[in-house]
Amino acid sequence: MKPLIASAVFGVIMMFAALSVKEKKTFTLLATLLLVLLTGVNIYELMHIMNGEIPEALFNGMLKYGSFSIWFNTLMTGIALLYVLLCGKHIEKVGQHTGEYYGLIFFILCGANLLSGYNNLLILFLGIEIISIPQYILAGSDKRNLKSSEASLKYFLMGAFSTGILLMGIALLYGAMHTFDVSQFNFMEHNVDAMSLGGIFFIMVALGFKVSAAPMHFWTPDVYDGAPTPFTAIMATIVKAAIFVAFLRLFSETFGGISQHWTLVLSIVTALTLFVGNITAVFQQSVKRMLAYSSIAQAGFMLFAVLAVNATGFKGIIIYAVAYSVATIGMFAVLMKLKDYTYDGFNGLGRKHPLLAFTATIFLLSLAGIPLTGGFFAKYFVLTAVMEQGTGMMWLVIFALLMAAISAYYYFKVLMAMYFKKGEPELAIEVTTGDRFFLGLAAAAIIVIGVAPDILLAWLKN
Amino acid sequence: MSLHEILFYFLSLMALVCALGVILSRNPVKSVLFLIATFFAISGHYVLMNAQFLAVVNIIVYAGAIMVLFLFVIMLMNLNADAEPQKSRLVQFAAVLSGGALFLVMIAALKTAGIHAEESKIDSSGEIGLIHNLGQVLFKEYVLPFEVSSVLFLSAMIGAMVIGKKEEARTEA
Amino acid sequence: MKDLVYLVPLFPLIGFLINGLFWKSMPKKISGLLASVAMLASFAVSLGIFFEIKNNPAAGGVVHLFDFIHSGSLHIPFAFQVDALSSLFLLIITGVGFLIHVYSTSYMHDDPGFTKYFAYLNFFVFAMLLLVLGANYVIMFIGWEGVGLASYLLIGFWYKRKDYTNASKKAFIMNRIGDLGFLVGMFLTLYHFGTASYGELFPKLIAGLPEGVSGNTMNAIAICFFIGAMGKSAQIPLYTWLPDAMAGPTPVSALIHAATMVTAGIYMIARSSAVYNLAPIAQSLVAIIGLATALFAASIALKQYDIKKVLAYSTVSQLGYMFLALGVGAYTSAVFHVMTHAFFKALLFLGSGSVIHAMGGEQDLRFMGGLGKKMRITQITFLLGCLAIAGIPGFSGFFSKDEILAAAYAKNPVYYYLGLAGALMTAFYMFRLYFYTFTGSFRGTHEQEHHLHESPAAMIIPLVLLAILAVVGGYVGLPEVFSEHHLLNEYLAPVVQNFDVHHLTHETEWMLMGLSVGLIVVMILLAYGRTKKPDFKENTGIAKVLENKWYVDELYDNVIVKPMKGLAVVLDKYAERSGIDGIVNGVGRLVSWGSNRMRLLQNGQVGTYIFAMVVGVVLLLAVGLLIVG
Repeated sequence: MKPLIASAVFGVIMMFAALSVKEKKTFTLLATLLLVLLTGVNIYELMHIMNGEIPEALFNGMLKYGSFSIWFNTLMTGIALLYVLLCGKHIEKVGQHTGEYYGLIFFILCGANLLSGYNNLLILFLGIEIISIPQYILAGSDKRNLKSSEASLKYFLMGAFSTGILLMGIALLYGAMHTFDVSQFNFMEHNVDAMSLGGIFFIMVALGFKVSAAPMHFWTPDVYDGAPTPFTAIMATIVKAAIFVAFLRLFSETFGGISQHWTLVLSIVTALTLFVGNITAVFQQSVKRMLAYSSIAQAGFMLFAVLAVNATGFKGIIIYAVAYSVATIGMFAVLMKLKDYTYDGFNGLGRKHPLLAFTATIFLLSLAGIPLTGGFFAKYFVLTAVMEQGTGMMWLVIFALLMAAISAYYYFKVLMAMYFKKGEPELAIEVTTGDRFFLGLAAAAIIVIGVAPDILLAWLKN
Repeated sequence: MSLHEILFYFLSLMALVCALGVILSRNPVKSVLFLIATFFAISGHYVLMNAQFLAVVNIIVYAGAIMVLFLFVIMLMNLNADAEPQKSRLVQFAAVLSGGALFLVMIAALKTAGIHAEESKIDSSGEIGLIHNLGQVLFKEYVLPFEVSSVLFLSAMIGAMVIGKKEEARTEA
Repeated sequence: MKDLVYLVPLFPLIGFLINGLFWKSMPKKISGLLASVAMLASFAVSLGIFFEIKNNPAAGGVVHLFDFIHSGSLHIPFAFQVDALSSLFLLIITGVGFLIHVYSTSYMHDDPGFTKYFAYLNFFVFAMLLLVLGANYVIMFIGWEGVGLASYLLIGFWYKRKDYTNASKKAFIMNRIGDLGFLVGMFLTLYHFGTASYGELFPKLIAGLPEGVSGNTMNAIAICFFIGAMGKSAQIPLYTWLPDAMAGPTPVSALIHAATMVTAGIYMIARSSAVYNLAPIAQSLVAIIGLATALFAASIALKQYDIKKVLAYSTVSQLGYMFLALGVGAYTSAVFHVMTHAFFKALLFLGSGSVIHAMGGEQDLRFMGGLGKKMRITQITFLLGCLAIAGIPGFSGFFSKDEILAAAYAKNPVYYYLGLAGALMTAFYMFRLYFYTFTGSFRGTHEQEHHLHESPAAMIIPLVLLAILAVVGGYVGLPEVFSEHHLLNEYLAPVVQNFDVHHLTHETEWMLMGLSVGLIVVMILLAYGRTKKPDFKENTGIAKVLENKWYVDELYDNVIVKPMKGLAVVLDKYAERSGIDGIVNGVGRLVSWGSNRMRLLQNGQVGTYIFAMVVGVVLLLAVGLLIVG
């Protein structure tokens, strides 16, 4: 509860700061401080849980924070901190309203917090909207750029459409269950009918839209490509991870009992997502757009955690969210240093800026899921989670492995450009010692997860 | 058929016809007017359910504020029938087909679904929509969503400001 | 003490890491010292363990370090097996290893790769200890591969010579062929018994064939393991790498290719005695291959002129004897011979190293002679080594070889007679070598004659120590006719299940001993006679065949290597380029094509997107609600 209040208050503080502060750097500094504070508040909360405090439902069962929720929040605020440290100076360059951008980022964290702790469909809805609306704005924040405005409007229109579907689903479920409180949902013979299942499928579609699962993914490449790059980085990582947690909690915990009714549909969605994401990424010329498709493909893997309907799925999503987010933010941070976002822009980076190239290599290897990087265990965990459910999903796992092999192609294309092609990569911005340090830190984190993934799971109870 | 039922069917028919009018009319101003009529019909439903407060709020907020705003926007942008981009026959056909298919699937699925109203859960006195009861529920049971939505509106307001405010010329990044 | 066993491989590992990481900046003195001290420390711990187990055989056991693989029902711990067999090998490896390290500090003194050499050597010892200590086949395999790698690196240590690197490649590839057998054997074991740990596997086998496992299975497992042993221990048909491996520095030949690594195969089979006792076909195969190798290699050694080649073929031949012992079920005799052989063969190699050192790198017997006058200590120690290997009573080789021959006689007199023939050849070529080298007059250049000198103390001391061991090492296993107690047998009894060795009557044993000793003395005299007037004319007939090693290398080249190359060319041209490449590229092109089509869907129109989305949703709903629901 405290982190939720803190994140909202900090957002307001950033807004007020925008009134008085002129220097853009000050915003980044302030945001960094507040994020450190927020992480601290989360850790404080986590300690309470670890000390054996029994989590209880708050506000008439609206919210319920277990160790999973709080640990996930702690990780996400930590990653947000890394994000600000890596991308802060790029955020300053986007437009005039740096203070407001940071305020919106805090609101996004507030929404993520709601999604990790919701116990009521109303809160789920509010969480998703609180996370979405700042994104529409951030996507359009580069007002001089037509693509940015177009991205914002597209995202908003399609987002509104999915919101409608989400509400429709919630309404149908309410009709079947007579309550919004998910802990009171009680699926029995008589109420597992078209009404409740229809509700479940509509919610699946709406959440699938938010995590860019096929065939609801069409907005993703346009929006991620059009939005200012620093904001693409947060949209593709923290936001996506938070919605996945909501997805996972709803489907594993609440709808887990009747999984036989929805796993087939979700596995089709998963297969489609993997297929579309990976196959289309192959042909992209721009690395930014490739990363947009790769985020679709990665979402396909994260869907496995939802499909698993077991405890390993929860572990998997934690590892996947962290490994994927850190690697993607890092990769975007490297990308933003370059002037040219196409593959050719990376030519010769290995010789000219070895550290940038090296960290980028680690991030890409992790995204491709090569052993000794966090991405390997992320994929390992989600796929194992599904395998634990029996051999019925074997076809999907094999398909996913096939697709992972294809993904190596487009990730390695960047590596090829960096190390095997000659060129003079132009930097858009100077690489400072701080950048090097934090990039190195992110890369080190990836390796640490790749060697000892259990450190991410030590904080989970049961 | 009681008067209540007659009113119900009338309002429902009106809501449906007007909603169709919104999407079928070529002139955007007419669409907005149809939409207002739809809202009125829905407010009528609220009144039938003894929820006068919601009925009034619905008219004030949607029909009054939002729709007027829509009208202003449309007039400011000077939209008219000619401005609407011509959609190809194929797209129209496909859209109708997919929408119809969605409709059919929902009908086919829902026709078997019964409404298992658990009577005890619904306030049989029919006074839930009254302002007193609504206030009680809103500020007791649903106080968290109520407060949290303030964050939502705050971010939307910031958005309006960030997007709407004129940006001074900035140095090339 | 047993809980400290992890220290034994740890010391060489630390030595390897320090020397390996800082090889550019290490001073020579420190790296050599460091490596030797690491070995000494390991040796000290090994001694402690050995005596603890000697005093109380129950003190051994499995030392569990950590879980290595834990996946489903498969459980492979990283654990060490401390018992009589492994502690004896520890002693041989660290003891002989230490002496050879000390010897190397002098022998390799002028080499620019000095530090690198010691790093490799330490790594080898580490891997060898892992091989011996592992409490299951998986850990043994890790060590097995490790020593293979170390051997590869050290054979090709002087990597600038093309034929040396070829020799290292040959060794590595032949070993890999064997390793495949080992791996298959290991998988078969895991499949049939669900475990690769000795502590779980062998108790199941001691009582007889376990239920549900056929004799054929046991034979298959045993033969697979034996194929692994063939590669590592240079048996027919995988022996040709060992003579070529003499390309490495001589101390390496002594340590790896005589005393320790090549005996890994014997260790493995002795360790698996429970498996072999249930696999009679495999046992016979081991005996026959061992015997054939012993004879074959000995015959080649008769006509070699390179001092190290003679010793190499002699090693192959002696390894053959050990396999013969394993094959007739006399496991302790095999281990006994491993031990004595480690002493005298290391001694002979180091002696030859001393000779080569003095000759300035010359290895050809035809240019030596009369070296005894200049290098007295080397000559004496070398002579002791020759007496030991020839099997003169009182020297260590006599006891161990006699024990093997007696066991062979008990199993099948034919084995005995053939084995004796091999032993006679051994005596002949060893003394031929000795007389050519140390007696007569010098046949090399004047320059070389001037250069002749006794080696420095760091080389001499290990020689002397090894010579002492080569003489007295046999007394731990006195035959029954001399003593009630066979110390080694008693020591190893809890671990190794000797297979019904028929006890011979004392009369038979005396007779066999007398026969072999008499004939061996005759052979030595014969060798003396043949070498008195050196005459190196062109060999003809059978001698030429022997000099050319029965043309086996040429045979392999024509029968295996060349057809393989031809096949590779065919595969490259047809299967690879048009077949596999075609499929791979085809898949790639298909993906590109699909990607290109998919990209078109992304046309930037929100209407299209929503339309596509609705179509998708309708289909999903139809599946979810109408088909499943």
